[in-house]
This record gives sequence, structure tokens and C-alpha cells, in this order.
Amino acid sequence: MNLATSRNRKPKGGLATSKRRFVTGVTLPMLLYESIGLFVLGWAFVLMFFDYSPGRVGGPILGLGGSNPFVGLGHFVEMIKGTSVQANLFRISLRNTLIFAVVILPLNLAITLPLAWLLESIGKRFRALYRTIYFLPVLTSSVGVALIWMSMYNPQSGWINAIIRAFGGTPVAWLSDPRAGFANVSVAMWAVILAYLWQDYGYNMVIFIAALQGIPQELRESALIDGANPWQAFLKISIPLIRPTILFVCVMTMLSSFQVFDIIQVMTNGDPGNQTQVLMLDIYKSAFRYQNMGWAAAESFVLFLIVMSVTVFQMRILRTDWQY
Amino acid sequence: MNKKILTLMLVLIFVLTACGGAAPKSDEPVTLRMWVHTNNAFIAGYEPIIAAYETAHPNVDIQLENFDYELYLQTLQTAMPAGEEADILQLFGTWTAQYYERLAPVPEDVMTVEEAQKIFYAAPIGGYIVNGVLYGMPQEFNMEYGGVLVNKTKFEAAGLTYPPQWKSMDDAVADALKLVEKDASGMMTVAGFHFTAADPTWASFLAGIMQRGGDYWNADRSGFTFNTPEAKAQLQWSLDAVMSGVVDPVVFNDSTNFVIDAFFQGMVGIGYIGSWAIAEGQTNFPDFKDEWDYVYLPSVQGDPVFVADSGWGLTVSPNSKNQEVAWDFVKFITTDPANATKWNIASGTIPAMPAVAESAEIAAAEPWVPKALSTLPFGQYMGSMPDRDLVMYEIIYPHILNCLQGVETVDQALQAIDTEANSTFK
Repeated sequence: MNLATSRNRKPKGGLATSKRRFVTGVTLPMLLYESIGLFVLGWAFVLMFFDYSPGRVGGPILGLGGSNPFVGLGHFVEMIKGTSVQANLFRISLRNTLIFAVVILPLNLAITLPLAWLLESIGKRFRALYRTIYFLPVLTSSVGVALIWMSMYNPQSGWINAIIRAFGGTPVAWLSDPRAGFANVSVAMWAVILAYLWQDYGYNMVIFIAALQGIPQELRESALIDGANPWQAFLKISIPLIRPTILFVCVMTMLSSFQVFDIIQVMTNGDPGNQTQVLMLDIYKSAFRYQNMGWAAAESFVLFLIVMSVTVFQMRILRTDWQY
Repeated sequence: MNKKILTLMLVLIFVLTACGGAAPKSDEPVTLRMWVHTNNAFIAGYEPIIAAYETAHPNVDIQLENFDYELYLQTLQTAMPAGEEADILQLFGTWTAQYYERLAPVPEDVMTVEEAQKIFYAAPIGGYIVNGVLYGMPQEFNMEYGGVLVNKTKFEAAGLTYPPQWKSMDDAVADALKLVEKDASGMMTVAGFHFTAADPTWASFLAGIMQRGGDYWNADRSGFTFNTPEAKAQLQWSLDAVMSGVVDPVVFNDSTNFVIDAFFQGMVGIGYIGSWAIAEGQTNFPDFKDEWDYVYLPSVQGDPVFVADSGWGLTVSPNSKNQEVAWDFVKFITTDPANATKWNIASGTIPAMPAVAESAEIAAAEPWVPKALSTLPFGQYMGSMPDRDLVMYEIIYPHILNCLQGVETVDQALQAIDTEANSTFK
């Protein structure tokens, strides 16, 4: 029997049957699991063309039609030029979400990358300690983080205002003053961003530390021997070499920023005056508080399109064709 | 209330209860699931009455399941389309207009619309009637208008007359001004009159419109009319009260220093909130040392006309296999005067039936209820609207708060409320 014949021959016997059973046994549950996800996505896709509310019986097929009428692209038209409260809230939420994501990403990178570089350069014993300390907020529940920051931001008893008072300053209602702002962003949004950053930065920092540790030591040593200082070695050697990691971190941070929900729901629930109302919160309220499932599905689709576009854009500009 | 009418109503209630209170025809075991939202005081009210019903009907087992408020909403919305909801559902009466397609009408042999309108106050039963059909029975009069928590200790410390003898809202504002405290930096630490949480804001706004002779419904009730002289006068009054300094709405509102939390931590002199807050405050702040009471504000002018939600009550799923027993239990708990009294006392709520509200038992256990008796008959159901929560919490309250916080003018706020609220009818 030659090699080609041997390769083309189908395996026989108990081993082959076991393999097939294993493959079937592993694949089928996964396919079933995925099909549930696909059904949910498909259902959401269908709903966005209907004015659907679960409180109404609607037509005979899945409750669509009848008192849950088909509206075609009506929800999307309303989002763009409608005057309804949902349309206004959607536009406000979209703006707030973009602000949140655009501010979070550079701030997160500006904190995590240098911090990872610093931690990577210190002794092993302290590195583990600091890494643990910085990573702890990531392990804390968002609700817990929100409650901690809420107590710090409390206008009367919070310690942030206590410090301001101690220096003779005017205390601020961090989470509830719609008039206060900085750089055209409300102070409540800044307050939420700060809390979110504090919780999130440890995650990216650990990823960056792992990436920096993966850079061959001789590359940096060569640069130092050639006269570069540590900062130049970081900028000219380390940063370019961890570009794929930066891409990954950018995409993941952007994704999580667009989907921010729990910390904002607990800290402000979108207040003051909807200044911290983000898309996920608006989708949640539309769907579950106000029962506008069709509208919420349409909003979700818009969020999906935005996230996908931003991800593709980031992948294009940060793409690398090489590996070390 | 006239004694003859009261006696007639009591007789009617007893007759209805006697007719409907019969045991289920079959002695076969019946298990009923009952869904309610998590409120410890409410649940404490349900449990002994369920036990009493089960004792009277040994073949019936009622399983009480509770959900956090937000989760309850989600559970209803997902279970109802699937037909998987419990047999008995706790429902906020005002929601009936949104859910009625998925609810079972009350069978006429259990109670007719006319009978319900006779034994319940107009406001609580109003929400349960949609297109002339009765879908459930209320357990409480959800009165958000007019009631305030007053801190006696602070009144006496400020040298104010106690109990307050307010003849007009201006009297209340004058007292409130003397209760305000600020720290050295000018931050308000004690609000004289905290009326800027969501429920008091919409309740006083709508009542103010009505008391000034206006209405927020158009003639055929197909839309709202919020941009009216009466609405403007009411909102201007609220703004003037804020400008006078009785409350800083930036640090005392629905999300920051909510009125119940703030009052029972000594940060409020007069706190505008429904009487349901009493049980919650007593439960959550057992160590609060100040003396306090619950009293009612005078009207802005004329009769104390006000609008109210149709409060919490019970209904039955059309998918229940034991609807007859389920309705029998609902009637047992909501219309039997003794059971209704027990439940209202345990939950700290105002009874939905005048006959119960006027009882000596209620007066002894809930001393704030007799004070409200002269006002309750003026309560009207707020009216069925496509989305009550959206109108109250995403339109009226945010715009009024914006106005009080200085972000919108009175005219801008009213224009926005009018436009956005009417858009909910599309």
C-alpha cells in the first residue's frame, strides 16, 4: 500500500468510531448553544422592524403584526429626525456613549501603558505585589465599585468635597449638578469616567505587562548599548513591538466602553438631566422599563453597527504584518 | 361620609364576599403560583392571609414568589408572551392599560365594574378598568399627592408651631425656610422642604394644574395639554419656592438624597412623599431618634383635587388552569374588609376601599389615614395613557427638575413636556 492510498483510506474500527462520537458529542452541544444565540440575534433583527411590546398580544405569528405593527425602517427614521422622547433620548445617549468611549480609550492607554512599563522594570518581588494591587479593582463587582465612588462623591459627606472644603474651595455635587462641566463634558460624566477607569485599568495593564515581557531582552539591550535612554527604548523599541497588543487593547477597551452599563446605572441611572445616559442604559430602559422592545432592538442594531465600524477602523490603522 | 352610605357599602361588601367566598367546587388539590414584587412589608401582609385561605381551603396551596422590582417587570414581560406567568399576578393598577390584552377580565359572578366602582375609591379602581372591562382589584390607594413627613424635633428646635397649622402652601414654605441648614461652604445640609423627588414632583404638578382649574388632558382625552396658564402658574410656584431657598434641587432630588433616606437621616425638615414611605423608613432606619409625623399639605387653591395612580392590586392570568380558585382568592384578599385591613396595616398603605379606610382599626394602626380621609374622595384616576412611566419619569420629572435646577426656563420645560408627552400617543 502506497502513502497516497493510505492517506485516502478511511479509518476503521473502534478508534474511528470513538473519534466520530467524540466529535459529534462535542460539536452538537456547541451547535445547539450557538443556535440559541443565533435565534436571539435573529429575533432582535426581526423585532427592529416592528413596534413590538410584550404587553400586547399582536398577530398570530410570534405576536408580530396586529397591535404590534410592522414599521419597516420607521424606528431608524425616527432616530435621525424624530421629535419623540425616545428619539431625543437616543440621540443624547449616542452622544454620551461616544464621549465616554472617546475619553476612556486615550486615558486608559495613557495610564496603563506607562504603568505597565514601570512595573515591568522593577524587581520581581514588588512587581507581583503592585500587579495584585492594581488588578484588585478589576476583580471587584461593578456595583461595589459604583457604591464606593458614590460615597466618595457624596456632596455633603464625601471625602472629595471634604478635601475641597479643607482648602477653602466650593464643594461640587459631582453626580447631580447638571450645570457643572469641564471641556464641554458634564462633571457627572467625568465622575463616572474616573470611576470606570479606576476599575478597568488593571486589566489592560496586566495585558501590557505580559506583552512587554514577551519582547526579547536583547532588542532593548542593543538599543541601550547604542546610546538610547530607557524612555527612547520604550518609545522606539517596545511600543512598535507590542503594536498587536495595543490593537487588541484598543478594540477591547472600545468595545467595553460602548457597552458600559452597570456602573452608570448604579451611580447615576443616566442623571443629571440625561447627561450620563449611555446607549446600553437607554436600550435597557426602552426594552424592560418601557416595554418598547422593537425600538430597543433597533437601538441595539445601531450600537452593533457602530461597534463593528470602530473595530474595523481600528484594525485597519493598527494592523501589522509581522511578528517577532 | 354619610353613615347610611357607609353602612350600605359595608353590607354590599359583605354580600359580595359571602357570594364569592365559597370554597372551590372540587376538592382536588389546587396549586396556585402568585407573583409579587419584593417589598417586605407587602409580603408580610400577604403571608398570613394566604395561610388563612389555605386553612379555609385545605386543598389549595398558594406559592408566593417575589422578585426585585426591575426583575419583576422583566419577568412579566418575558413570561406573559410565553404564557408562563403565575396564576395570580400583583399588578400596579396603572399598568393595566399596557397589559390588559394579556390579562383575564374579572368574571361577572366575581365582581362587575359597577360593584367595583361602588366599593373602591375612584382613583385605585380606575386603572383596573380598561375599555369598560374590569381586569383586577386594587389593594391600596396610591396617593403620592399632598402627604409630607415632618420632623417634630427640628420644628421645635426652630421655634415653629407644632403640629403645623398651614392654611396655605405659602405657610408651609415659610416654615420650611426656618428649617434649612447649610454648612460653612454654603452647601445645604438640611432641606427645609424636600419636594423635588420624582413622585412628589409630578404629583404636585398635576394636582396644582387641577386645583387651579385646568386639566392636562385635552377634551377627548386623546392627548395632553401641558403648556397651559395653569401649568405655568404651578411650575412657576415650584420655581419660586426653590428660589426662596427651601430646597437645593441639585443636592436634594430623586437620585441624590432621596426624600426617605434623607428624612430618616435628619437631613430634611418637611419631606414630600406618599405614605408608603412610612413603613419603608421605619424598616430601613430603625435607629432614627428624631420625633416625626405624617401630615397633609393644604391645596394651592380651592378643593384638594388631585390625580393618583391606581395602586398595587391583584389580577389573574388567562393562562391559569385554576382561574375560578384564583379569583376566589383575589376577592378574599382584596374585598374582605378584615383581610384588606390586615394587609393595609402590614404594608402601611392607604386602603383602596372607603369602608376600610374609615375603620377604627386603620385609624389606630395608621394614624395618618384619618387625616387623609377628607382628601381621598377628591382623588381622580390619572387616566390611561400609552406609557405612564415614560411620561412621569422621563418627561415630566426631568424637565421640571431641569427648570428647578436652572437648566431650562419655565416656558422651555412646559413646551418640551407638552411635545414629548404627546409624542407617546403616536
